[in-house]
Amino acid sequence: MILIPEVMTILILDIIFAFFGTIAFFLSIKIFFGWNIDSTSQKQYKLEKQSFLATTIIKYILAIKVPLFLFFIFVLDKLSNIITGAMCAAGVVNATPYGAYLFILKIINLYLFTYWLVLNAQDVKYENQPYTKLKFGFYIITYFVFISELILEFTMFMSINVDKMVSCCGTLYSSASTSAISVLFKVDTSILLGAFYGNFLLIVLFYILNKKYLFAISNFLFIITSIISLIMFFGTYIYELPTHHCPFCFLQSDYYYVGYLIYTLLFIGTFHGIITGFIKESKKSTIKNYKISIFFNSFYVILVSLYPIVFYIKNGVWL
Amino acid sequence: MIELKNIVKIYDINKNNKVTALNNINLKINEGEVVVLRGASGSGKSTILSLIAALSKPSSGEVIVDDKKISKLPDNFAAIYRRDNIGFIFQKYNLIATLSVKENIILPLIPLNPDAKDVAQKLEIVAKRFNISHKLNSIVRNLSGGEQQRVAIARANINNPKIIIADEPTANLDEKLSLHFIEILRQLKKLNKTIVVATHDPLFFGLDFVDREIQIHNGNIIL
Repeated sequence: MILIPEVMTILILDIIFAFFGTIAFFLSIKIFFGWNIDSTSQKQYKLEKQSFLATTIIKYILAIKVPLFLFFIFVLDKLSNIITGAMCAAGVVNATPYGAYLFILKIINLYLFTYWLVLNAQDVKYENQPYTKLKFGFYIITYFVFISELILEFTMFMSINVDKMVSCCGTLYSSASTSAISVLFKVDTSILLGAFYGNFLLIVLFYILNKKYLFAISNFLFIITSIISLIMFFGTYIYELPTHHCPFCFLQSDYYYVGYLIYTLLFIGTFHGIITGFIKESKKSTIKNYKISIFFNSFYVILVSLYPIVFYIKNGVWL
Repeated sequence: MIELKNIVKIYDINKNNKVTALNNINLKINEGEVVVLRGASGSGKSTILSLIAALSKPSSGEVIVDDKKISKLPDNFAAIYRRDNIGFIFQKYNLIATLSVKENIILPLIPLNPDAKDVAQKLEIVAKRFNISHKLNSIVRNLSGGEQQRVAIARANINNPKIIIADEPTANLDEKLSLHFIEILRQLKKLNKTIVVATHDPLFFGLDFVDREIQIHNGNIIL
């Protein structure tokens, strides 16, 4: 068990979120099954009041949870100073059997929670609240993933043993590793880069052709190709070390915290791209999402591409 | 213009203490009409006003204003509806005592972010109409009851609302000032405002410009 103030902050917030999130969950069930916006019955007016309460609870929980993801990474990074053998957050994630699942779940939730917030923002834009049923139905499903995340988070922090030696990122993200990541080392770099830049060009193409579903799918795939190419190729230029493939180390001060910028750009760009296919919006809002997605994805591509280019200009060789 | 359909309003203080303020009320008020709601304290007059102003929602039934179901509006839209359509005159004026007359009157305009010229123009019109021009820079807490009432009326009219709602407007005024207030209502009627007044002040009964007097008793319309 590890209880530094930052971990306690996360755990206390988890308890508060679980308590209020559960209240909102039961209200959501009532609203989802009883909602009829055209009705003027006592039941419907009561549901409208409860909808306001549930929306407020969920909105504030999720609006805190989304930026809290960055704080979570920061805490993992800080814990790496305490845990024997860990050099960065990667070591902490792998210090228990739950870390990797928690991390993946947190990334999924990041998209789910932000989607709910966008759905809610769309819902309150209109007098007839067209997304009320959908947003509460979506919350009912999201609640289980949300609670799973809280339980995993609790379990992970409770089962960390500071005296137990863990592997550092250099071992975890290497071709010698026994994890699934080692498979990626067998893929040729030119194929990886082809997939990454090709995927980005598809996003631009579907934007020009105004194909919103294909645009959303290509943005979803872009998350995968971006993270793989970041670990396998671009990361090595950030570290200027051909053998270092850690997706966490560049979140540290040694690399000017550039990882936070890289992941934030990727998240904003792909999120806005994905929601174009999931929310029926006005043409103006869809165009706005297209533009935000293209802008942030392009910024991401330029930023990560600059590292190898600058390295080549400075040294005259590729890694 | 204003229609209350099968309105029931229950104040649910707790499970064992429910108060039925309105019991299946049906009421239509036409545009430009002046309606006086009469009745003892607790009869449900103020509840009707708060429903028309979208300050509260019915327990069942619906309130329709200009073909819009305002009782179904979410809170953010209800606020816009109030801002654009309703001028509210309260029994206790509800002015901000530490602000000047001018600042109190222009308060409803602030969310609209209008330009200074527009504000000055609107302020001049209402201040002149309700005879408060000479006190514009005075602090509200230094004014007499009658003057405060005129500031409240000016504030209720600065947005040029279609509907004026007054809840026991003369409860804190002496007879002379009450009669003066009634004259102001007469002026507003000439401007084709729809006016709904909730009162038990006998001065309001039998007035020539009042189109209808409605008696409310225990949440029911009597006549």
